[in-house]
Amino acid sequence: MKGKRCKRGFVLILIISLLFLSGCWGKREVEELAPLMALGFDLGQKPGTYLITGQYALPKKGATGAEVEDWTMSFEASSLREAYEMTYKILNRTPFNGSVKVIVIGEDMAKASFKDMLDFAQRFSEFRRTIYLVLAKGKAQSVLNVKLRNGEMPAMSIKNHLEQADEISSYPTVRLGHYLTVLGRKSTAPIIPLVKILKSGDGGIEYKAEGKNGTEEIQLEGAGVFRGDRLVDFLTDEETKGYMWLENNVVHRFISTVGSEESKVNFSAHVLSSATKYKVADNNGKIELQYQIKTSIAVEEVLGQNDQLSDTEWVDLLKGAEKSFAKVIQKECELSIQKERKLGLDFLGVGRHIEEKNPAYWKTVKDQWEDKIADFPLSVNVEVTIHHSGMSSSSPTTN
Amino acid sequence: MERISPHQFMTLGAGVLLGTTFLPVASIVTGVGGRDGWMSILPGFAVGIPYGLMVLSLLAQYPGKNLLQISEALLGKWVGKIIGIIYISITGYFGGLLLAQCGNIFERSIMPLTPLWLFYLGGMLLVLYLVSSGIEVFARFSEVVFPVIVIALILNIDLTIPRIEQGELLPILSEGLRPIFYGVLKVLPFGMEFILFLAGILTFLPTGKQELGQLKTGVWRAVFLVGILDMLVVLMQILVFGPVETNRLIYGFLVLGKMVEVSKTVAGVESLFMGVWLGAVVLKIGAFFFTATWGLESVFGLKGVKWNLALSVVFLGIALGFVKGQDLIREISLVDDYLILPFTSVWILTLWGFSHWKKGGGIQ
Repeated sequence: MKGKRCKRGFVLILIISLLFLSGCWGKREVEELAPLMALGFDLGQKPGTYLITGQYALPKKGATGAEVEDWTMSFEASSLREAYEMTYKILNRTPFNGSVKVIVIGEDMAKASFKDMLDFAQRFSEFRRTIYLVLAKGKAQSVLNVKLRNGEMPAMSIKNHLEQADEISSYPTVRLGHYLTVLGRKSTAPIIPLVKILKSGDGGIEYKAEGKNGTEEIQLEGAGVFRGDRLVDFLTDEETKGYMWLENNVVHRFISTVGSEESKVNFSAHVLSSATKYKVADNNGKIELQYQIKTSIAVEEVLGQNDQLSDTEWVDLLKGAEKSFAKVIQKECELSIQKERKLGLDFLGVGRHIEEKNPAYWKTVKDQWEDKIADFPLSVNVEVTIHHSGMSSSSPTTN
Repeated sequence: MERISPHQFMTLGAGVLLGTTFLPVASIVTGVGGRDGWMSILPGFAVGIPYGLMVLSLLAQYPGKNLLQISEALLGKWVGKIIGIIYISITGYFGGLLLAQCGNIFERSIMPLTPLWLFYLGGMLLVLYLVSSGIEVFARFSEVVFPVIVIALILNIDLTIPRIEQGELLPILSEGLRPIFYGVLKVLPFGMEFILFLAGILTFLPTGKQELGQLKTGVWRAVFLVGILDMLVVLMQILVFGPVETNRLIYGFLVLGKMVEVSKTVAGVESLFMGVWLGAVVLKIGAFFFTATWGLESVFGLKGVKWNLALSVVFLGIALGFVKGQDLIREISLVDDYLILPFTSVWILTLWGFSHWKKGGGIQ
């Protein structure tokens, strides 16, 4: 009797399941989706509006594999959801946010405040905190509308740049989650890498622009420093590199002594590994933060060296090179520290290092921290070790 | 009479104790304990051990009886009945809130367009099926599901190691012990939820001397296992998000799940994790459904399919009454802090003290 009742119950559940589990609510086929790859935020022309650019990767009809069509459009709207509504009215597919790789913040928008634009991305569950944030020199719309010479979508190009950034470690990679974490630290000023459109001839780089409107390239170099969500200033390439050393963010780097000192012989090298340690020390009653940078490099170019050197001379030359490289790194770090002092913004996270190492002292200075940054004692000690100089010692001779 | 083995008791206890605690716990403890909040977890859970042992010592004295029946025997029929009514009200109401939380979790995270009632109905059907199958099947269900939950938790924690931010855990104890104490107070109700379940399940536990020893070990093991797991969950969230963000995120562990990426190729695995978390929710709702049914049976003598259906209607009614997620989260916190914690801690202590006083005085 009980078994019969159980069977009936089971059949009833199956019938209910048939009725209600025929498909997921809001189910959409992949072909009906428009994967959003990037979002760009600029200020709108009307007060209180934003120019929101969405870059979608629409799968090409009848195409094989991962062929996609770049569908980029900008909307002047007062909120992201309003921009989405406008998108729905034009595009006959449903925007899918889970695929967003990059958020590009336009310069004007960054100067004004972009917190409201990020709110949707950190709140709506489709977005991930692994999205990269970049700051555009100029308008985000322009960056996302660039026609790259290799035909790549700007969103994917920026993402690929950032994912390979460790190879040159000359600018930070900032994900949405990291930015929000830094905001939570309060004493640290966030920093976001800078992306700009590179025209042929800019910065000594030339290329052949193709097509009717002329194709372009984009370049990641430097960074922007923020007070919360407002851009305060840009860091130069060297200042950003200094930040990378001080923040222990250098994985690999190319580094050169050219122009660093008056020397006939110069070197270029590849950073193999690097580690930065911090020490909060009491120096005659004054608390200071000491950076200790230890770097291992491989010399890959020797420039201006014409004489054949003996083994001993070669050893001495490389010892000198170690000091030259240390000076280069020291200079980059000092430029970064100078900028920190000038801005009165702790983008180097000095306050956090003090808080970690000496919380009691931090409690006494944290409320006046921005005023203290300008003259807070910081010292940098760099130690460079050359592992090798490649496959040869002296340079080839010409006579 | 159904019986569950000491091993089943351990896994079931751990499953009920863990429940969905790993979802809100980080936000709760960092809210009061800041970056040291993770240190509150183990002591907070450990308080459950003496309470668990007190309940088991009562089982040794009154074999085959649950705590409601023991209350009647020790404190008198009417006091016992009043305690029973409070017990049924709390467990029934809290079970309904957990059912609502099940919908809330899925609606917020991966299925925003699916009607809430479907989660409620689906969850309730599962719970009803388990409850009607009996405590033994429920225990076996926990034996299967709990290890999967543990593996999923460890995987989620492990796969988010690359997302750790430098130095977010430091400095340690910069604000002293006070924040940890406040954190412990916030964790205490989790242990008390387990004690409420333990109070009802007593009748299904073996009472032999050897088994009683195993049950006591089971309590220790369950509490430490869950305490360590929850501590790791909180630790990882503080390491990845920092204390401020950890506190701001409602279900931070779900956000952590969304950050899992393996070799830049595998992402979006959070839905798999969500499937496992459903098992955890069902375990916890099922446990509270059981406690409410045991209460009804002990106090009013009401049992059978008819009353199970009636109780499920109550659960559904409570869940449907909490469509607003923000209200639900506050309500769960209020019930935990102001009903479950004071009621359970006072009730168990009183019973245990009373039984010892009676035993000492030779009063029967």
